[in-house]
Amino acid sequence: MSLQSLRARVLLWVSVALIVLFAITIVGLAVIFQRSSELALRDALQVQLLGLIAAAEESEDGELSLPDDPGLDLSLTVPESGVYGVIWDADGVPIWRSASWVGREWFVTQWPIPGERIYLTIDEGGLLELEALLMGIRWDFHDGSSLPYTFGIALAREPYLAREAAFRRNLIGWFAVVTVTMLIVLTIVLRYALKPLRRLVHEVGEIETGRRQVVTERLPSELTGLARNLNFLIDSERRRSIRYRNTLDDLAHSLKTPLASIRALLTDRGVDDEAKMRALDREVSRMDQRIGYQLRRARATGGTGLGLAPVALGPIVEDIVDTLDKVYRDKQVSCEFDIEAGARYQGDPGDLNEILGNLIDNAYKYCRKRVLVEVKSSVERVEIVIHDDGPGLPEDAEEAVIERGARADESIPGEGIGLAVVAETAELYQGSVRLGTSPLGGTAVRVILPRRGYRLEKKS
Amino acid sequence: MRVLIVEDDSSLSRSLVAEFEARGFKVLSAPDGREGQYLATEYPVDLAIIDLGLPEVSGIELIKSLRAASRDYPILVLTARDRWQDKVEALKIGADDYVTKPFHVEELIARADALLRRAGGWAQSELVCGPIMLDTRSQLVRLEGQQVELTSFEYRLLEYLMLHAGEVCSKTQITEALYDQDFERDSNVIEVFIGRLRRKLDPDSAFKPIETLRGRGYRMVLPRGAPEAR
Repeated sequence: MSLQSLRARVLLWVSVALIVLFAITIVGLAVIFQRSSELALRDALQVQLLGLIAAAEESEDGELSLPDDPGLDLSLTVPESGVYGVIWDADGVPIWRSASWVGREWFVTQWPIPGERIYLTIDEGGLLELEALLMGIRWDFHDGSSLPYTFGIALAREPYLAREAAFRRNLIGWFAVVTVTMLIVLTIVLRYALKPLRRLVHEVGEIETGRRQVVTERLPSELTGLARNLNFLIDSERRRSIRYRNTLDDLAHSLKTPLASIRALLTDRGVDDEAKMRALDREVSRMDQRIGYQLRRARATGGTGLGLAPVALGPIVEDIVDTLDKVYRDKQVSCEFDIEAGARYQGDPGDLNEILGNLIDNAYKYCRKRVLVEVKSSVERVEIVIHDDGPGLPEDAEEAVIERGARADESIPGEGIGLAVVAETAELYQGSVRLGTSPLGGTAVRVILPRRGYRLEKKS
Repeated sequence: MRVLIVEDDSSLSRSLVAEFEARGFKVLSAPDGREGQYLATEYPVDLAIIDLGLPEVSGIELIKSLRAASRDYPILVLTARDRWQDKVEALKIGADDYVTKPFHVEELIARADALLRRAGGWAQSELVCGPIMLDTRSQLVRLEGQQVELTSFEYRLLEYLMLHAGEVCSKTQITEALYDQDFERDSNVIEVFIGRLRRKLDPDSAFKPIETLRGRGYRMVLPRGAPEAR
């Protein structure tokens, strides 16, 4: 499983996270357990000490002693039981020692004053490690005198340490089991969760081999966008290749007629050279026009690339107007703009240049003096209107130029090519071109380009 | 008028040179950008016609280098590409007009004439000085509305003087503009043609359109006028 795999990544990071999390938990719990066992140990020391104090009594000779059967904890009477008790007199001489205390001395370095408790750990190399409690007591005798004594209780630490170690072992064991179980569950969940992705990959494979047209969009919501974009790309790619093929067909066909005329001219003896030249020139012009038209149609992309950045329309219009001002310098055209600030459109820059270039060029060509370029931008679409104050177009121009051009008809008048190309390009964006009369007196060409997401779903 | 044609297609180049020469232009031609660059900077040129798809140095580079070297004569671009982005780019870097291939030679010459006329400060295709009207499109000359018959050379000479109306044009300038570069410079020829023009345009010496400045050249002295005024 390489790290390129989503599953491997998820499992790796979840494992790392679990291990870190559990390590912190284990350490925390062990510390808490150790503290509470320490407290329990001290409690046990207190209980034993209080028992010892309770059992002590004044002997007949006026000394402090423990009775023969003092009713103490049994473990004090069993040798090496791990519970030890000692009572010292004021001079530090042990006056009583529990039966469990065998073969060992208790060297006290710091004596408690009466009423004081001292907890200490006795760790003498090689011998059992002990936790001890010393308490100073001033004993009041019946005769009214009182003497200080020190009571000592020691407990072996070993059982507590063993319990702590066992607790830690258990903890680690259980967390290991939890981790492994979680990873297994996660693997199964991932397998289930990634199933739609595998299906998508499989479907794309089927599209590649031609066994499928589109990917199913019935996917988890996180993937529907991807699937929709994929279908959009596939659809536009398919439409583009159909369009290329049609363009090539149209081009080849439209060139055959003028070629046939030329060939016929070459062998026609009834026509003089001058007439042949004129006819030849006419046919060459026809061929040029058709190549120009088909090439420009084929070039339009319709903004099918997914990575298209929004294109600012203002600078394109300005560049084109600068160009045309130079080309039509003699005409002294006054061109005004009404372009919404920051108007942008997510389309192919080449397409937008062609649309604006052809339309503004036509306006410059046919206007008397004035041209107006309007660009309005909204959430749903961009609207481009080019006005001129020229003679205007005949009533049937729209049908003649745009609709016939869009059907790749052969008989487009030369001037209409630009407009036909604009109409076809706009159609690729599911937009439209309409001709009307401008308040300036001439033609107003209105191009509407819907934004992506506001285009009609169109199946090819 | 001296025209530089930079075009790599030899047959197109040959036809263009022939057509321009037949119309009285003096033509320099180069088959690639490098030679074009050399000719454009070494010889006085009134107009350059440059193909964009050139070997060695591209048309765009050539235009840029000419503009960078302050060669401010008009440049007409020939291109097989008709994308708007290409047209915009060519004009942005300093070209003045473009013609897309294939074109009719007449159209190219009309555009070239228009550029030369504009470079001379004329906004219209009809140049008018006093009673003389020269139509660069139809190449007709009228004197007070009456057509005047001129030979091709006389027409070019008059056009040159009218394009530079008010300016002194030296014999060398005129010779260079109207003849091949290796033409033997016999100043008498220009004098002879000036004399003929004067006789045809002003037979009665009524308004003396062409002034002779001894040792300096000739000048069209009639004021420029808009054609509407006539």
